[in-house]
Amino acid sequence: MIVSGFSNRDRFDRMRRVNWIDVDSIHKTRCLVVGAGALGNEAVKDLVLAGFRDITIVDMDDIVVSNLSRCLFFRESDVKKAMKANIVAERASELDPEVNIRPLSIRIQDLDEWDFDIILGCLDNISARMHTNSHAYYYGIPYVDGATDGLYGKVQVVLPNGPCLQCTMNRSHIREMEKRFTCTGSGSTYVPKIASDITTTSVIAGIQVREVMKIVSGRADMCIRHVSYYDGNKGEMFTVEATIDKECQNHIYERTK
Amino acid sequence: MAVEILVKNVANNDSVRMRVESNEKVSDIIDSAAEYWKKDAGAYVLKKGKTLLCSSDTAVEINLMNDDILEMMPDPEGGRK
Repeated sequence: MIVSGFSNRDRFDRMRRVNWIDVDSIHKTRCLVVGAGALGNEAVKDLVLAGFRDITIVDMDDIVVSNLSRCLFFRESDVKKAMKANIVAERASELDPEVNIRPLSIRIQDLDEWDFDIILGCLDNISARMHTNSHAYYYGIPYVDGATDGLYGKVQVVLPNGPCLQCTMNRSHIREMEKRFTCTGSGSTYVPKIASDITTTSVIAGIQVREVMKIVSGRADMCIRHVSYYDGNKGEMFTVEATIDKECQNHIYERTK
Repeated sequence: MAVEILVKNVANNDSVRMRVESNEKVSDIIDSAAEYWKKDAGAYVLKKGKTLLCSSDTAVEINLMNDDILEMMPDPEGGRK
């Protein structure tokens, strides 16, 4: 008789067979997921299934009907009745009883404590990205940002002392950000409807979580350096290297050290 | 000294030849290319080979040479809605 050992008792047995994945480190990692929409749903699903057990989700929005085509955890009965962060936390917890998910229905700009080991950006605007990026960089927390537009997407990995999100931005990003504020004429932000589909969302969120797994497993050397672009129309992906922008505000301290 | 380069628009496969002065910045090239293609929505970035160009770098700093090819790409920002 062939004895297969304890493989059927360990939820993560198959993951442990990937030689670089450190499941114990994954269990202990404190994750912040910023955004609980299309990318956030997919990222949290992947995080929980991969064994992350300490997750904080920040999102200020409630659920609308157009979310239902891309968000695994949302149901029709949630529309206009529930906050995204709460629902993702509640339903993702069903995937693993060991997971502890803390939902925060606030703007990322209102988050006071940044006591995390890793941050995933699952956002839809440059302003919130810049805020998350600057805080991640200031506190020395690795930041893995995802973004999509239709069948086009990207993943950027920001490690302490490396180029950050702002280093790769230019005046077109600033103009885009300003446009959103001037459209409303107030402090609130107008967010245009950006094309989105679940297949691209899944690919981008999946890559984000895989990069996070490399970092927390001590294999940041295998990470994307620094931005991968994905074109779902052509089925192509390529990676480009970024450099630290000498005018980037986030690197001032390093330059004056 | 000025150099003549080719800027490709990855989004529409179009391209434009551009004369760039040595002290001009990457952000100037992006703005000129965006104006040429009348891009008024979205953000975009410029890459040279496998390097994403830094907007504050000058043509000299990125070692821009005659007939170099730069690619302008849309930089997506969606994902939460």
